[in-house]
Amino acid sequence: MSSRRALRQLAAAVLSLLVAGCGRHEQVITIGFVGPLTGDQAPQGDDMLNGAELAVEQAAAQGPVIPGYRLAFMPLDDQRSPTQAVAAAKKLVADPNVMAVVGHLNSSCTMPASAIYHQARVLQISPVSSNPQISRQGFDTFYRTCATDDLQGPAAAIFIVKDLGAQRVFVLDDMTTYGRGLANELIKKLTALHAEVLGHEGITQGDKDFVPLLTKIKSLNPDLVYFAGMFPEGALLIKQRTQVGLSSRFMGGDGLFDPVLIDLATPQAAEGVYLTTIGSDIHQILTAQSFVKAYEARFGPIGAYSSYAYEAASIAIWAIRTAGVKDRAAVLAAMKTLRDYPGIFGPQNFDAKGDSLIRDIGIFTVKDGRFAFVKTATWDTR
Amino acid sequence: MTPLQLFLQQLANGLTLGAIYALIALGYTMVYGVIQLINFAHGEIFVLGAYAALTVVLTLGGTGVSWGVLLAACAVAAMGWCAVIGVAIERVAYRPLRGAPRLNPFITAIGMSFFLQNAIMLVYGATDRQFPNPLPLLRWETGGVTITLMQVLVWVSSAALMVGLQWLVMATRLGKAMRATAQDLTACALLGLPVNRIIAVTFAIGSALAAIGGLLFGLSYGTINFHDGYLIGLKAFTAAVLGGIGNIPGAMIGGLVLGLLEGLGAGYLSAQWKNVFAFVVLVLILLCKPTGLLGERVAERA
Repeated sequence: MSSRRALRQLAAAVLSLLVAGCGRHEQVITIGFVGPLTGDQAPQGDDMLNGAELAVEQAAAQGPVIPGYRLAFMPLDDQRSPTQAVAAAKKLVADPNVMAVVGHLNSSCTMPASAIYHQARVLQISPVSSNPQISRQGFDTFYRTCATDDLQGPAAAIFIVKDLGAQRVFVLDDMTTYGRGLANELIKKLTALHAEVLGHEGITQGDKDFVPLLTKIKSLNPDLVYFAGMFPEGALLIKQRTQVGLSSRFMGGDGLFDPVLIDLATPQAAEGVYLTTIGSDIHQILTAQSFVKAYEARFGPIGAYSSYAYEAASIAIWAIRTAGVKDRAAVLAAMKTLRDYPGIFGPQNFDAKGDSLIRDIGIFTVKDGRFAFVKTATWDTR
Repeated sequence: MTPLQLFLQQLANGLTLGAIYALIALGYTMVYGVIQLINFAHGEIFVLGAYAALTVVLTLGGTGVSWGVLLAACAVAAMGWCAVIGVAIERVAYRPLRGAPRLNPFITAIGMSFFLQNAIMLVYGATDRQFPNPLPLLRWETGGVTITLMQVLVWVSSAALMVGLQWLVMATRLGKAMRATAQDLTACALLGLPVNRIIAVTFAIGSALAAIGGLLFGLSYGTINFHDGYLIGLKAFTAAVLGGIGNIPGAMIGGLVLGLLEGLGAGYLSAQWKNVFAFVVLVLILLCKPTGLLGERVAERA
C-alpha cells in the first residue's frame, strides 16, 4: 500500500515539476515531512503522512498562506534509520523553499536530524518523538506536539504498581533511543515506588526468536513484563510468551499502539495487554472531532500518530502565516509568539524547551481484539 | 523450575531455531560444494518460501481442510515454487558467468539478492504479515520441560529432510553425479555428465530445503517480512561456514550449534549480547579449526 502511495506522490511531484517548468514563474513555500514510509514502520509513517497532508490541503484550500505563494508539501522517507533521517534532513534544508519540517517519527531519527534543522534555522515540529533528551539539547528550532517519555514512563509505573498491584516487574526494551529512554524512566519510578525490577534486558529490532529470553523470564516468575519498543517486536513478544507459558501480565509504551499489533500477535494472545499512549483517547476529545471526521472520510480509520502530525503541520502553517514573509528566521520568531493555539487537543502551548504543555497520557488495554480506553493516567515526575 | 529443567528447556528452544538454520545452511553449502559460489540470494529464496506457504494458508485456510493436509499443501507449493525460482536464478544469473573469475558470480549473487528482496517487497508489501498457524496448540510437560507440537514438527521434519538428503547424496546415482561434479566439474563434463543439469538440480534441492525452512519459520514465529531473508540468511551462511562450507553434515551440525549458542546466550547471558556471544564462539572455532567443524572437503580441494 505504501509503495502505491509513494508512486502516487512521485507522480504528483513529477507533474508539479512539469507544470512549474512550463508555466509562469510561481513562488512556493514548502512544508517538509519525514517519517518511515517504507519498511516495517511504514504503517505508522503513513498515518503521520496522512495527518500532515490533510493539514496542508486544508490550509491550501483556504487560500494562500502568504499572498503570492503556493503552499507545497514535500514528504521524504527515513526508513526509521538515523542515517536516512540525516540524509533527508540535509535534503530539506538545502531547499530554500522549505520553511518548516514535520518529523520524524523515531526519537533515534529526530535526535540527529534536529541538529541539521537547528544549524539551518529551520523550524522542526516532531509529532511523536517522545525521548526527553531531544528537547534538552537547547535547540530553539525544535518543538513537539506529544508528551515525553519522562511522563509516559512514570505514568506506566504508577499504573503498574497502584492499579494492577504488580510488584515484580521484568523490563525489556529495543535498545533504541526511544525504547531505552522509556525503559529507564519507567525503572526510575518503579524503584521509587518500591516495586522490584527483576531485570532489564535489550532485544534487537528485526529479531524474531525471543523464546529463550521469555523462558528465562518465566523462570523468574514476574507479575508483569514491560516492553519499551515498537509493535513488530512487541507482537512477537506477546505471542511467544503464550507459547512458553509465561502467564504474567504484559504492558508496553505507545510504540505498541497500532491495530497491527493485535493482528500480528493474534487477538487471543494480545487480550489483556496494557499500554500507555501519548495523549488521551482521540475519540473522546471534543475539539478533535471535526478533524477525526475529515480524516476518516479521506483516509479511513485514524492511526495512533495521525492527529499529532496534523497538529504539528497545522502549527507549522500557523507560524508561516503569522510570520507573513518567506523567511526561516521570521517563522522561528513567529513560533515563539504562539499562545493558546486552538489545536485539536485543546489550547496548545509549548514550554521553553519546545515540549508541548498538553501532557495527557492515556492507558489502553486490548479487549476482544481491539484497543479499549481504560483511563487518563495520573503521573508526576517526582 | 530447577536449573536443570531450565537448561533442558533452553536446549529445546535452541534446537528449534538451529534446525531451521540448518535447513537453510544446506542450500548455501550444496551450491558452494558444486560451483564454489556463495549464493547470497539464498536468504531471499527462504523468504519466498515463507510467502508461498503464507499464500496457501490464506487461500485454503477457510475451506475447512485439516491442518495436516494444509501443511502438506504449503510444503509442496513452497518447495515447488522455490525450486523453480532457484533453478531460474541459476540459469539467468549464474550459468552465463560459469568460467568467469570467481568475483563476478559473487557480485551477481549480491545483486540477485537485492533484486529479489525488492521484488518481494513490491509484491507482498513492506509491512510485517501475520502468518496464521493452523496447528493445534498442543504442549507436553515432561519433567518440567515444555515441548510444543510446533517444536516437534520442526525437529521431525528437518531431521527427515536431512536424512533424506544424506541418502540422496550418498546412495543414489544423482548424488554420485553431484559429488563427482563437486570434485571436478571439467572432468565430469569431459566424461559426458550433464553438469549443467546436475548443477540445476543442486539449486532446486537447496531452494526446496530453504522453502521448508521458510514455512517452519513462519509457523514458529508467526510473522514474516520481506527483509527477514537478510538476517536469517546471514545466520544460515554463518552456520554453513561453522560446519565447514561445502560439507553437508557440517551444515546440519553448524546450524544446530549456532541455534544452541544463540538460545543459551539469550537464556543465560543476556538477550542483547546473544549475537555477540554466538559470533565470538564462531571466531574461536574458526581460529582453532579454520575449515569449520567438519571441513575436510575444502582442504582436499586446496
